[in-house]
Amino acid sequence: MITAQALYIGFFGLAAVWFGIVVFRTFSMVRSALALLFSQTALGAMFLSMQAEFLGVLQIMMMATEMSIMAIFMVMFMMDPGGLGKMDMTHQKRLSLVAGIVSFVAAVAVAVFVDWGPIASVAPDAAQQTVDLGLELLGRSMLIFETAGITILTAMIAATAVAIPPVKRNPSKGTANHEH
Amino acid sequence: MSIELLLALITGAALFGVGIYGALSQTNLVMIMMGIELILAGAMVNLVAFWRYLHPDTPAGQMFVLIVMTVMAIEMTVGFGVAIARFRAKGSVEMEEATDLKG
Amino acid sequence: MTTALLLLLLAVGAYLVAVIEDWTTSGRFRLAAPAFAALALLGRESIVPRKSDRVFFETAPVLLLISALLAATVIPLTANLIITDLATGALFINAALVYVLVALLMAGWGPNGAYAMIGGWRFLGQLIAYAMLIVMPITAVVMRAESLLTTQIVVSQAGLWNIVYQPLGFILFFVASMALAFLPPFDLTTAKGELAGGVEAEYSGARLAVFRLGRLVLIITLAAAIVVFYLGGWQGPWLPPWAWSAIKILAVTTMMLLAGRYMPRIRETDLLGWCWMLGIPLALLNILLVGLLVLVLP
Repeated sequence: MITAQALYIGFFGLAAVWFGIVVFRTFSMVRSALALLFSQTALGAMFLSMQAEFLGVLQIMMMATEMSIMAIFMVMFMMDPGGLGKMDMTHQKRLSLVAGIVSFVAAVAVAVFVDWGPIASVAPDAAQQTVDLGLELLGRSMLIFETAGITILTAMIAATAVAIPPVKRNPSKGTANHEH
Repeated sequence: MSIELLLALITGAALFGVGIYGALSQTNLVMIMMGIELILAGAMVNLVAFWRYLHPDTPAGQMFVLIVMTVMAIEMTVGFGVAIARFRAKGSVEMEEATDLKG
Repeated sequence: MTTALLLLLLAVGAYLVAVIEDWTTSGRFRLAAPAFAALALLGRESIVPRKSDRVFFETAPVLLLISALLAATVIPLTANLIITDLATGALFINAALVYVLVALLMAGWGPNGAYAMIGGWRFLGQLIAYAMLIVMPITAVVMRAESLLTTQIVVSQAGLWNIVYQPLGFILFFVASMALAFLPPFDLTTAKGELAGGVEAEYSGARLAVFRLGRLVLIITLAAAIVVFYLGGWQGPWLPPWAWSAIKILAVTTMMLLAGRYMPRIRETDLLGWCWMLGIPLALLNILLVGLLVLVLP
C-alpha cells in the first residue's frame, strides 16, 4: 500500500540520489559542492518525513555549513573551478562504475531478501524523541558521546597543526619568521 | 516488509553506490571527499530507517546517526588539513600525482 | 488563516524595517520612500551578466527570501499566533538561517563578477565567526526553558526575562544576529563604498527587489527571534500580547539598525579573531552560569 509517507520518502530519496549524481556530472566546482548540499538537504527532508524531526533539522543545519566550506576549498584547490574548460578530472572510470553498480545491487539485494521482522507503525512524537535522545546522550551513551567530542577536538587541533604555514627560525635574531 | 523501509534502504544503497563511484573515479582530493560524504550519507539513511521502522523506542538508534555526523565532520577537518598541507608542499591535490608512497 | 495573517504581518514588518533603515541612514522619516524605491526597482531593467551561472543567479534572491520566511514560521507573536509550533523550533530557526549563507554564496558566485564573488566568500568567513555565537546562546536559553518549543521558551520567561537572567547571552546573540543579517558594522558582504554593493553588485531591477525584500524579512525575523529568546516574547503588563510583540520587535529592529551606525566596520578576519578568542569562551561561560542558575534557582 502506498502511503503519503512512502510518497514523501520516495520523492526526497529520488531528489537526494539525483543531486548526488549531479555532484560528479557537473564541471563547475561550486555547483558540485552545492549539489552535494542539496542532496544532503533532501536527506534531511527525508528524515523529517520519517518522523525523525530532531535529526532532520540537525542534518539540514549541519550540512549547509559543511558544504559551503567544501565549496571554497573546491575553488581553492581545483585547476578549473568555474568548469568553463570542461576538463576531465576522472580516472579508472570503468572500474569505479562497476564497483558503484555492484555495491548498489548488493545493498539492494540485502534490503530486499532479508527478513526485517515486524515493522513498527508508530514512532514516539517529536518532543518525546528529543527528550529520549537527550537522556540517552547524557546517560547510557555518555561515554561514546564524550569520546566523539574529544575526537573532534583532536581532529581540529591536528588539522590546524598540519595546515598552518611552516615557520622558519631565523638563526641570527632567534625569532620566528613566516616563510611567505 | 513495508514499502517505506524498502524505499529508504534503496535510497541508501543508491547513495552508497554513487559515493563509491565518486570516491574511486575522481582524481582530486576534495572530490574524493565528496564521494566519502555520500557514502556516509547512505549509511545515515539506513540508520534512520532502521530506527524508525524496526526500533522506534530505542533512542540509541538516533545516537548512531549523530556519531555518523561526527565522523563526517572529522573527515572534513582532517581531509582539508591534509589538502592544505599537500597543496602548500606540492602545489596541487591531484591524486594522480601523489605517488610519493608508491614502492 | 494564521499563515496568511502572519505573512501579512511579516510584509508590514518588512516595510517598517525599510522605513526605519531609511530613517537611520538619511535622518528623515519618510513613510512612502520604500514604496517608491520598490516601484523604481520593479520598473528598471533586470540585467543578466554575460557568462553567468543562471541557476545560481536566479535562485539566490529567492532562496534568501525563503530561508528568512522559513525561520519566521516557528516564531510566535502571541501564544496562538504561530504557523507551526515545531518540537525542535529553536533548532529550526538556526537551520533555516544557515541557508542565508548558501543564498549569498550563490549570489556571489552566480553573476561571474569579481566584486560579487569577494562579497560572497567574505560572508562565508563571517559565518564561521558568528555561527557558534548563534547556537551557543540559544543552547543556554533552551536549558532554562527545558524545551526546544519556541512558545515554551517564551512561557519560561514569565517571572524574569532572559535579558536579565543571561545578559551575556543576549549581547552575544544580538551581535551575532547583526552579523547574520550583514548589517553595519558587519556589512562587508555588501560593502557599498568598497565593493560597489558586493553580492548585490550585479543584481538589478526585479531580482534586486527580491534580494532586498529577503534581507528586510531576515532583519525582522531576527529581531523577532531576539524578542522570543530574550525579551519575554508577547509578555508584558496592561497591553494585549500582540501589541507587546509588535512594540518589542520594532524596538529591537531600531536598535539593530542604529547600533552599527556608530561603529567602524569590522573586517571578517578581525571578526573571526574576536569571535573565536573572546566570543566563544564567553558563550561557554554563559552556558556554565545558566546551568548553575538553573540548578540553584527553583
